[in-house]
Amino acid sequence: MNKNAANAGSGATQAGRPARLSLADWMPKIVMAPTVVAAVVCIYGYMIWTAVLSFTNSRMLPSYKFVGLEQYERLFMNDRWIVALTNLGVFGGLFILICLFLGVMLAIFLDQKIRAEGAIRTIYLYPMAISFIVTGTAWKWLLNPTNGIEKMMIELGFEDFRFNWLSDPDMVVYCLVIAAVWQASGFVMALFLAGLRGVDGEMIKAAQLDGAGIITTYRRIILPSLKPVFFSALVILSHIAIKSFDLVAALTNGGPGYSSDLPANFMYAHAFTRSQIGLGAASAMVMLGCVLAILIPYLYSELRGERHE
Amino acid sequence: MSNVAKRQTSGLDKVLRVALYVCLLAMAAVYLAPFIVMLLTSLKDVEEIRSGTLLSLPGSIDFSAWSKAWSGACTGSQCEGMAPYFMNSFKIVIPAVAISTLLGAINGYVISHWKFRGSDFFFAALLVGCFIPFQVILLPMARTLGWLGIANTTTGLVLVHVVYGVAFTTLFFRNFYQSIPGELIKAARLDGAGFFTIFYRIILPVSTPIIVVTVIWQFTQIWNDFLFGVAFSGFDTQPVTVALNNLVNTSFGGKEYNVDMAAAIIAALPTLLVYVLAGKYFVRGLTAGAVKG
Amino acid sequence: MANLVIENVKKRYGQTEILKGINISIEAGEFLILVGPSGCGKSTLMNSIAGLEDVSEGRILIDNNDVTYSSPKDRDIAMVFQSYALYPNMTVAQNISFGLEMRKVPKDEREAEVQRVADMLQIGHLLKRKPAQLSGGQRQRVAMGRALARRPKMYLFDEPLSNLDAKLRVEMRTEIKKLHQKLGTTIVYVTHDQIEAMTLADRIAVMKDGEVQQLGTPQEIYDNPTNLFVAGFMGSPAMNFVPAKVVEQNGAFALELQASKPTVVPFPDQESLKPYLGKEILLGLRPEMITEPQPHKEGAEFVVTADIDVEVTEPMGADTMVLTRISEAEVNCRCNPVYPTKAGETIAMMLDTSKAVAFDKDTGERIDR
Ligand SMILES: Nc1ncnc2c1ncn2[C@@H]1O[C@H](COP(=O)(O)OP(=O)(O)OP(=O)(O)O)[C@@H](O)[C@H]1O
Ligand SMILES: [Mg+2]
Repeated sequence: MNKNAANAGSGATQAGRPARLSLADWMPKIVMAPTVVAAVVCIYGYMIWTAVLSFTNSRMLPSYKFVGLEQYERLFMNDRWIVALTNLGVFGGLFILICLFLGVMLAIFLDQKIRAEGAIRTIYLYPMAISFIVTGTAWKWLLNPTNGIEKMMIELGFEDFRFNWLSDPDMVVYCLVIAAVWQASGFVMALFLAGLRGVDGEMIKAAQLDGAGIITTYRRIILPSLKPVFFSALVILSHIAIKSFDLVAALTNGGPGYSSDLPANFMYAHAFTRSQIGLGAASAMVMLGCVLAILIPYLYSELRGERHE
Repeated sequence: MSNVAKRQTSGLDKVLRVALYVCLLAMAAVYLAPFIVMLLTSLKDVEEIRSGTLLSLPGSIDFSAWSKAWSGACTGSQCEGMAPYFMNSFKIVIPAVAISTLLGAINGYVISHWKFRGSDFFFAALLVGCFIPFQVILLPMARTLGWLGIANTTTGLVLVHVVYGVAFTTLFFRNFYQSIPGELIKAARLDGAGFFTIFYRIILPVSTPIIVVTVIWQFTQIWNDFLFGVAFSGFDTQPVTVALNNLVNTSFGGKEYNVDMAAAIIAALPTLLVYVLAGKYFVRGLTAGAVKG
Repeated sequence: MANLVIENVKKRYGQTEILKGINISIEAGEFLILVGPSGCGKSTLMNSIAGLEDVSEGRILIDNNDVTYSSPKDRDIAMVFQSYALYPNMTVAQNISFGLEMRKVPKDEREAEVQRVADMLQIGHLLKRKPAQLSGGQRQRVAMGRALARRPKMYLFDEPLSNLDAKLRVEMRTEIKKLHQKLGTTIVYVTHDQIEAMTLADRIAVMKDGEVQQLGTPQEIYDNPTNLFVAGFMGSPAMNFVPAKVVEQNGAFALELQASKPTVVPFPDQESLKPYLGKEILLGLRPEMITEPQPHKEGAEFVVTADIDVEVTEPMGADTMVLTRISEAEVNCRCNPVYPTKAGETIAMMLDTSKAVAFDKDTGERIDR
């Protein structure tokens, strides 16, 4: 601004900066303003608000009596939270591994000039279009301990077949894995298939001229070049895992007992139905911490990659 | 000698290819099975469900479970079926998709062609909005909606979906508009067109593909949402996902799995339809959202 | 038609200064060409003139009005871009009339104007097509048409022909020249093509690192470059720079070179060499100043014949370029193709220093005038 003042003083004929401060010049800022305000308030403001709540003794209603880290202490003393965290570890780990494995395998298989590839791809991916609530409802029926898969196998002649994971506190978390993998593995397949299609064809030809067989070509040449896809898939899958809430609500509702709770369900239950706002806020902050731990390295490498382009 | 080798490998090739197809088709069956089971179950009556198995065929095609799911089943204390909630979902989805898409388009246009100091930084900050676990904003948002007097209304849900959807729509449009040469905007400015004229006359007409991708993405996301729906809706403003969950978990008398399944299919139908009709754009949205989001 | 004055224009992006005080002034109707290496700020200067980017300092006057802070649409300037920037969703006719529409010209006038421009550029048969259905040359014409339709005060061309193939480029070059002669509108034109610059310009501004190195007519730039950079930048093949020692011979200053054998050549501007007696300077010789011996120049004042060692010959049709080495520097000579030369031979060449120039070895500045 002072620069303009200097300019204005330098010539009598100077039109001066103000001539350009018209509405038109402000238009980009004006139209962005609602989004900026919304983002600042509803993302960052609310994050801080939740952080503040997590340091208070809020129960039914928010109160602003600060109790330091007490809620976090309570949180990690809480057996239900520990179960939820452990479940997240088991569920997240298995879900990500199986999805990646299935996704990569199916993508490679589909990449072999398969007839009716389009139709098969459509079938693999359709679960991604439906809600986790629907998925949960469907699998709740499929995994029903008396009438579901178990009964079907018995009718097929496997008299001793038992499949009651849904009602077994030790096994119920694997039910979540099955349903979630069913829903999301097709998506990983689509990601990798897109990646495979983007691989430089000449590089593959060169490898084959060098005498590499098909397996070696995939293992040594193609898959390593898909590292960024692995990375994105990993981030997205962990993100899905941490946010998983609806699947649990629909498939197990946390049960039996609270044996299949995930942090997201813990948070919701305490903040909205059990009048433990402070504790719920603390658990939300821990979830945020988990996401950031994954996100920051990812964004960092993404942004650095963009600058290299 | 080399001929023999060739013939052998081609024989082996054939076996491998057959195995490949078997494998792919078996997997396709696995992915399809839950849906088929849902469909079969929804067409059986309660007796058939009790006596048969998952994949046993219904004796006669019976749509009574469907009509009950649509208009008679109990979701919590009300027994009006899914119909009102199905409508609720549309009341939420249509404005939310329209507004968030429009905002995303304008934001993307500004961020890619009318940069100002801080606009890039703001974009990065907004990207974070794509990632945060929404549990972090649930409590403050509930308070805010209360203050605004739109708690438990579809308006409130529209607002929430717009606010947290705009990050994605902006990302989509920004990435698309980035590929429109800046010289096009410069030429139009010299021709005398202003900010909105350029947007309306030059940018929007070439945006159809990204609008389709964004609308489909937003539609799927918002239709399938459960968290915001369960946290911010009232009894009669619930979206269809919440109603479905209530329906399934309501147990008056015996469990009617056929009604549950019919209700689940009803809840899934709009997004499935979109997927079948515009799968290409759906996948493009998924991968675009994934690669940079 | 309007004159253009650029006064001490500076442009900064954050800390980096892209334009470092540009001063250019051209008359109404002049054809100014901007040349310079990639990234020197030509497009930035064009955008500043057009008002597409704010300048950080300085003033821009068009038609004696200060437009430094007026918006692009108020400057009444049209620009043709390297990528043509045609509106992809509009037909050719709509592209051409868009600017008129924005200026609220009535529909029938717009149509008449489109017709006039289309006739002028012979694109009448393309009016209903979309840009995607046009060839590169046709797009180029439409882009020009769009600029012509508004009859602005000034045209800016940013490398308008560089996406065309060589033959089309020559054709369009001629057409642009004809258009300029017909319309007489002021034009600022950026190009990387030496021939375009020489043939089209009334004046050329040579830029480097955000500064104007020299502003002058094509002939001035070619004959009298102000420094090594300008001398080396304009002309193809480039001017030869030969290290030469200033010596005194027969009471006059002369330059000693090392051709096949040591050779002393005379130099027109005696005064300028005085301070450099006994030191080395760089002698600038255009390739056409070193030729096969030409009988009619024999014995002329600044002509010397010397033997050189031929390293490579490059027949170009009209001439044959002979590559040799003088005082360790690579030197291009332009010879008549009938003059028998072969790599490895030593042959006689005629050096004409009447229009040679001299540069300070350290600063690169011109010594003589
Ligand atoms: N928006 C910007 N922010 C920062 N630096 C920029 C920006 N635009 C251009 N530059 C820099 O300004 C310098 C001049 O760019 P400009 O486009 O004017 O060069 P040019 O002379 O037109 O080059 P070319 O012949 O390749 O077209 C370049 O170094 C470029 O990197
Ligand atoms: Mg340029």
